[in-house]
Amino acid sequence: MSEFYEGMAEILEVDATEINADYELGEAWDSLAIVSTIALVDEVFDKAIGADTLQECRTVGDIEKAAQAA
Amino acid sequence: MACVPPHRVGNDVFVERFGESVAEVTKMTGVAHRHWVDANTTTSDLCAEAATRLMAGLDWSTDSIDAILFISQTPDYRLPATAAVLQARLELRPGIIAFDVNLGCSAYPYGLWLAMTMVATGAARRVLLAVGDTSSRVVDPSDRSTALLFGDAGSVTAIEYDPLAPVASFVLGSDGRGAQNLIIPQGAFRDGAARGDHDQTRLFMDGGEIFTFTLKAVPPLVADTFRLAEASADDYDAFLFHQANAFMIKHLAKKSKLPTDKVPINIDRYGNTSSATIPLLIADDLSERLRSSTMRLAMFGFGVGYSWASASITIGRLACVETITS
Repeated sequence: MSEFYEGMAEILEVDATEINADYELGEAWDSLAIVSTIALVDEVFDKAIGADTLQECRTVGDIEKAAQAA
Repeated sequence: MACVPPHRVGNDVFVERFGESVAEVTKMTGVAHRHWVDANTTTSDLCAEAATRLMAGLDWSTDSIDAILFISQTPDYRLPATAAVLQARLELRPGIIAFDVNLGCSAYPYGLWLAMTMVATGAARRVLLAVGDTSSRVVDPSDRSTALLFGDAGSVTAIEYDPLAPVASFVLGSDGRGAQNLIIPQGAFRDGAARGDHDQTRLFMDGGEIFTFTLKAVPPLVADTFRLAEASADDYDAFLFHQANAFMIKHLAKKSKLPTDKVPINIDRYGNTSSATIPLLIADDLSERLRSSTMRLAMFGFGVGYSWASASITIGRLACVETITS
C-alpha cells in the first residue's frame, strides 16, 4: 500500500484496502478533503497542486495523475 | 500589548447550524475558542485599551510619541484613517505622524519594518504600532469555512530609537494575482465579481487556493529569512507563524524542518485573529520569557493580498508584555 493511498484513505475516512485508482471520491470530496489532499500531495510528491485542479478530480487515480503533472 | 474582547465563544454554538461538520472543521483548524467583539466594538477600541496600558507600563507620556500606525482590514471608517482617530482618542500630540496601512495576515512583520525604518531614519524616535482585526464583524455566519475560524484581537507595540539595538532583518513580498481568493468583494468603491453564494459585503475565502499559495510562498520565505539574517534554525528561540489554521502551521513547520517545540500555536484559544496573530503569540505565549530573558525570534505572516512578510529580530527584558481583556 502506497503512502499516498494510505493518506487518501485517512482523508476519505475509509479502510485503506478499499482505495485504488478507480475509487470514486463522491460526496466525501468537500473543501476540507481538498485542503488535506493538497498537504498530502505536497508531502508525498513534493508538489503544490491547485485547489481548482483537485476540485475537478473524480477518482483517486485522477488525483495521482494531476499530482504527477503539477 | 494585546487586547481581546471578553466574550469567549466555544464551538458548541455552531453545532445547531452546521451539525456534525463542526467537529471535522475544528479538527483541521484547531480552533476550540475565540473571542468576539459586540456590535458596538471596533478594532480601534481594542487597540486603544492596549495602547493606554502599554504607555502606562512603559511610563511613556502621551506627548513623547512621534508617530502612530494602524494596520488592519477592519478600520473604523472608510475615511479618515483610524490612526488619526486613535491619535485624538489617546490624546497624542497634534502634528505627529498618523496613517493606516491596509494589510491582514502579513501586517505585523510589515508594520515592524515600517516602524523600525521610521525610527532608523530619524523620522520618529517613538512609534506606536497598532495592529489588529475584528473579523467576526465581516464573516458570514452561514459560511462554514470562515464563521468558525476567525477571532478578534487588537495589539499595540512600542518601538523606540536605540543606537545599541541588535540588527533586525525583513523579507517582504506580494502577489496580487491572488486578490480574489480572500476578499470582501463589495462595500467599498468597486462592485467586484461575486465570490461565493453569500452576502458580497462579507468575507469570502477560498481555503484551498490559500493553502496552495502558502505551500508555494512560505517555505521560500523561511529560507530567505534565515539566509538574510545569516542564521540557521538552531539560532532561534521561537518561530512565530501567522495562526492561519493549525493543520497548515504544522505542515509548514514540518516542511521547513523546524522543531515543533519552538513553533507555538494558540489558535485553539483565540482563533485566527488575522493581523493580530503574531503579536498575540508574543503577548500571550511568550510573555513570561520575554519579561525575564532575551529571545531571537523569526516571524512569518502570509495571506490576504496575497502578501507575505517575515522578520528576524532579537527582543527581550520587556518592561510591558501581556494580554488583557477589554
